[in-house]
Amino acid sequence: MTTMMDRPAATPGHSAPKKALIERLNIFTAFALGIIGAIVFYYVAKAILPANTDGSYIKSNNDQYVIFSMIGWFIGFMTGIGALIGPFRWLLGKDLNHDENMFYAGKDQGVKRYFRYTTDHKVVGIQYLVLTMIIFFVGGVLAMLIRTNLGHAGGGWLQPQTYNAIVGTHGIIMIVGTIIMITGPFGNFIMPIMIGARDMAFPRLNALSLWLIIAAVPCILSSFFLGGISTGWVAYNPLASQAPAGMDGYIMFICIFALSTMVAGANITTTVIKMRAKGMTWNRTPIFIYGVVASVALALPAFPVFFLSQVMSGMDRAAGSTFYNTMGGGSGWLYENLFWIMGHPEVYVILIPGVAALMEMAPVFTRRPLFSFNLAIMGIAGISGLSILVWAHHMYTTGWAPLLNGPFMLTTELISIPTGLLFLVLIGTLWRGRLWMTMPTASIYALLWNFMIGGITGIYLSDVPVDGALHGSMYVTAHFHYTLMGAGLTGALASLVYWFPKMTGRMFDKTLSWIGFWFVQIGFNIAFISMFFVGLAGQPRRVEAYAAMFSRGNMITTGGAYLIMAGMLVLLYGVISSWTGGVKAPMNPWFAKTLEWSVPNPVPLENFDVLPVVTSDAYGYGKAQS
Amino acid sequence: MSVETHAQSHHEHPDVVGSRNRLGLILLLVADISFALAVLFVYFYLKGQNVNDMWLPKASDTQDATVPVSSMGAWYVTIIAALGLLFHRYGLAGAKARNQTQLVLGSGVAFVASLAALIYQGIQMNNAPFTITMGAYASCYYLIAGLNMVHLFLTVFVSLGNWNRSRLGIYSADHWHVEIVKVWWTWMTISSLLGAFALSFT
Repeated sequence: MTTMMDRPAATPGHSAPKKALIERLNIFTAFALGIIGAIVFYYVAKAILPANTDGSYIKSNNDQYVIFSMIGWFIGFMTGIGALIGPFRWLLGKDLNHDENMFYAGKDQGVKRYFRYTTDHKVVGIQYLVLTMIIFFVGGVLAMLIRTNLGHAGGGWLQPQTYNAIVGTHGIIMIVGTIIMITGPFGNFIMPIMIGARDMAFPRLNALSLWLIIAAVPCILSSFFLGGISTGWVAYNPLASQAPAGMDGYIMFICIFALSTMVAGANITTTVIKMRAKGMTWNRTPIFIYGVVASVALALPAFPVFFLSQVMSGMDRAAGSTFYNTMGGGSGWLYENLFWIMGHPEVYVILIPGVAALMEMAPVFTRRPLFSFNLAIMGIAGISGLSILVWAHHMYTTGWAPLLNGPFMLTTELISIPTGLLFLVLIGTLWRGRLWMTMPTASIYALLWNFMIGGITGIYLSDVPVDGALHGSMYVTAHFHYTLMGAGLTGALASLVYWFPKMTGRMFDKTLSWIGFWFVQIGFNIAFISMFFVGLAGQPRRVEAYAAMFSRGNMITTGGAYLIMAGMLVLLYGVISSWTGGVKAPMNPWFAKTLEWSVPNPVPLENFDVLPVVTSDAYGYGKAQS
Repeated sequence: MSVETHAQSHHEHPDVVGSRNRLGLILLLVADISFALAVLFVYFYLKGQNVNDMWLPKASDTQDATVPVSSMGAWYVTIIAALGLLFHRYGLAGAKARNQTQLVLGSGVAFVASLAALIYQGIQMNNAPFTITMGAYASCYYLIAGLNMVHLFLTVFVSLGNWNRSRLGIYSADHWHVEIVKVWWTWMTISSLLGAFALSFT
């Protein structure tokens, strides 16, 4: 294999030297090889797989071909982007040399490094940021289609099957978008600098985690052309076993995404444990780091279970196994257990980094120390620990293990205690602080308001009798939007404005940030408070037409949704205009004390010329004057 | 946005890099352990539920009864894997003692063991007296055997690389790679053992 070191240098009058393999691979070769892989695997599957004549219950050749094609796509894509070079070079005993590692880090490549398997954590952070925005854009368009359709009582202009597919795809795309919205862009770009490291512990795994998601996205988008995801984002079996081939896109999407979360979880956790700057004891480690680590560490054991649930779903569909088919000894409850063992911790995987990011910003914009740092850690740890013991509250109405309803109700309600600690920390920090009113500061108040509503309605839903009445209603939809969007996304948008100067070297346009903030927050509360009311009145989820009595509430919700859309478009415009022509940011525009603000803009390749030594915590802003 | 600088290379001590890599692998194993335990949960859950009496379906007009396979095959795979682990450890001891011959021999035999276990596992799956469609037990059997196949395939890759790198003398200066491969071998053997244990209960 040609390496960069041993190829001859170009001389005047001669043609340029042949490029080494790692220099040839980029997103275009990835897509090209991915498509070739999908086509080859499709025809191979058609040639070698026998027709389905063995009397299995669900298995279909169509699903086999689709899954094979997607596996071919995946292998081709990862080969084409260069993810396999490292492992095979290790196998051959030809480890990457310094120049090659620098090439992987994106040195001297300008914009091209954003389209390659680049390992520099800052490039990966920017790639994650753009990917997250694309995911939210797609999910947002689907949300607007849903709300526009629901603006009219008798059903709108979407066919029921199309409506179901849009709801399912919106759900899963937004879940993935919210999972990566903070740990992806800010966990990658900011976190290593914040702890005083030169890069992540495993830079190639870092790039791998990103490109796995990029490989996964076409799988879910292809589902639209394969009959859609008609099951909602939860993809309950055995319903999913009978769904069109679009379900195979969902299965592959989740399997690849789960691999990404495992890789990212191991990488981020190792980085924080092993690579903190000298003197950065656990008591001096910023609270944002705790939030990111709690999130990825929670995902580490949870997502493999989800992965397994989808492997078995794929086996049922393509190989004829009977894991979820009661006629063959399977069980739908099995799927629900596996799904929710992941599904509830996943809520906190989304929430905790958002809250932690705002806890990080609160001292900066109040010029006070974080109120009770230890309480904040206890809150995060308590939520993380309890979140793995609450999954069956999603299954009260299924009839699974009724004797366990009480214990699960108790554990679910207990989780409000550590959650309350986080509220106390935020309120305590704001209390009598000298407020510097920015969009992130206002976001702290927005989070407290939204999360209070999302949290309290969650306590109602964890109550067995109330859940019996409200399960499957729009009330539930409003509740989880209040937590995931009202709290999680609010934290993410504040993070974007707060860390934008460090990531891009430009200040986020202040006016646009405020306009976007108010449109989103007002629209959000209009949309989802109104949704609580129609839910309480009995409107079910996931139906494309509803009774006339719910018209007014739905009209209001749709109006609120359009306000959210307007706000998000303003923020998107703010990102583009500020990035391309915004005011140049000083090194530390917020006068903050965490390490990321001690490095210049743009941040050098390995962050620090000399590694910092930490001598105090990051919140030494002095005490409030009372 | 990051700037392109000609930063100095920052070399770290191999022990530091090794320790970091070891933790990284252990954390990845947390995910794999979670997956493997979930597989066992599936097996025992469906076995305990025996929905419609279809854990091991009886003979019908259209289908023979599902007869469980002997778990001995799974135990044999585990024994081969355990032998591979022992030889890997033997090679590791050689690396620590700077005995190149012992390192190459140990890692070479470990590679052969992993290959043998993979092939034997494949033969077992191929010769199972039922297909995956024949009830919950059959589905679970293929799931457990399939997981073992994936683990063994990865082990073949890792042990081949380990042997090749040993042969090339790459581990003469430091041997943290060999230590980390040992962690993987250990978990793979335990995972195989758990699978064999589960299949002993039909």
